[in-house]
Amino acid sequence: MENLLDLNFLIESFPAIISRLPVTIGIAVGSLLLSLVIGVAAALIKIYKVPVLRVITSIYISFIRGTPLLVQIYLVFYGIPKIIYFLQSEYGWLQSADVNSIAPEFYALMAFSINLGAYLSETIRSAIESVDRGQFEAAKAIGMTPVQMMLKIVFPQALTVAIPNLGNMFISTIKDTSLVFIIGVIDIMGQAKILGSRGLAFFEVYIAVSIVYWILCIAVERLLVKIEKRARRYERGIA
Amino acid sequence: MIKLEKLHKYYDRQHVLKGIDLTVEKGEVVAVLGPSGSGKSTLLRCINFLEEPTSGIVEIGGKRVDAATAKKKEIFALRTATGMVFQQYNLFKNLTVLQNVSVGLTSVKRMKKDAADKKGIEMLEQVGLSSKLSHYPAQLSGGQQQRVGIARALALDPEVLLFDEPTSSLDPELVDEVLATIRRVADTGKTMFIVTHELSFAREISDRVIFMEDGVIIEQGTAEQIFTKPAVERTRQFLGKAVQG
Repeated sequence: MENLLDLNFLIESFPAIISRLPVTIGIAVGSLLLSLVIGVAAALIKIYKVPVLRVITSIYISFIRGTPLLVQIYLVFYGIPKIIYFLQSEYGWLQSADVNSIAPEFYALMAFSINLGAYLSETIRSAIESVDRGQFEAAKAIGMTPVQMMLKIVFPQALTVAIPNLGNMFISTIKDTSLVFIIGVIDIMGQAKILGSRGLAFFEVYIAVSIVYWILCIAVERLLVKIEKRARRYERGIA
Repeated sequence: MIKLEKLHKYYDRQHVLKGIDLTVEKGEVVAVLGPSGSGKSTLLRCINFLEEPTSGIVEIGGKRVDAATAKKKEIFALRTATGMVFQQYNLFKNLTVLQNVSVGLTSVKRMKKDAADKKGIEMLEQVGLSSKLSHYPAQLSGGQQQRVGIARALALDPEVLLFDEPTSSLDPELVDEVLATIRRVADTGKTMFIVTHELSFAREISDRVIFMEDGVIIEQGTAEQIFTKPAVERTRQFLGKAVQG
């Protein structure tokens, strides 16, 4: 009799898949951090209407929103080595970089940072703009520099507003990292694919990997609730 | 000492301040009265360049800033020479009461955290809130928030304190505690510039009263003069029942 599932194979595939969790989490967390930097910069450029950069930022955001993530990953994977090679041969820059030794994880990190940065910038922009004008005025009135005002007063308040959105985007990113196997990164998805073809049991490994993603996302969601609660502690009034 | 010379402010084509000239002596308490839209808040906000005057000169403690050529550094100097208390308190929501008062000391005056905390606590004792150091603004009443606002402004030892309708957003029963705090500060000899609707308070606390309408100073004099025998009919009209004599 034909079995629906090779349950043993499914269970045995877990340790190997989980061993690749650091890759998945590393790309997701790394690109979240990098994209926050990109997102804040893009948001500030738009808020302060910086000439030229503002146009570039708008094109960047529009392009990222208007093209598939998969295509963006390929663009980064094939584009960056070409650009580095071009800079080396034409200008003699970046001589120490060896294009052939760049790990595919690096390209994945770049692609996801660039992608997420564009989406985060709009969230961050509206969060910064939601901070009460009076907060800016009070900071200016005591003589804070614009940088101090942003770091000590505006960003902490904007971040609190943005956390639910940032969290949702982070969870999407975790799931989207399942695309990175196409450029040779062995994340949990890549590992599942390898196991599947080795044992010719694809249904089993994909069930296993989906469970790993699911649990990971639930854990992150729980963590986000805690972070949000903590960030919002100053909003609890007496009433 | 504050000196304003020919201060003009336009919003687009609306002429809000029409050449204000004013000198405030050290230790003087000046109350600015006038109907809504008279430009009194704008005048106050032009002193520390929260609103940039269109033209004119602001001088505080010898630092002269011409609006036409004002550089960031000069504006910064004006802001550190002034302390501002806002109508909506504008306490930093993400900081505790103590941090609200000490953040200016650590970031603007580059004081060490310990020293800044010590001074912050001292300031909060002055406004009677040293028991709320680790509360957040949202956990305080409006009157308490405004007292923290006063402590925050005082902490930086400004040459002059600017009050922008400090009691206008408060519930009536909370007004007195804030007025009492302002009165205590006035008694220490601080130079103060108060835009207010509290006529009797203005009369009691100020050395000089300025009456503004339509972007110009219509009349000024000692509180006694303005409230007992205003020279201008419009002032008498505005003060209404508060005028005696």
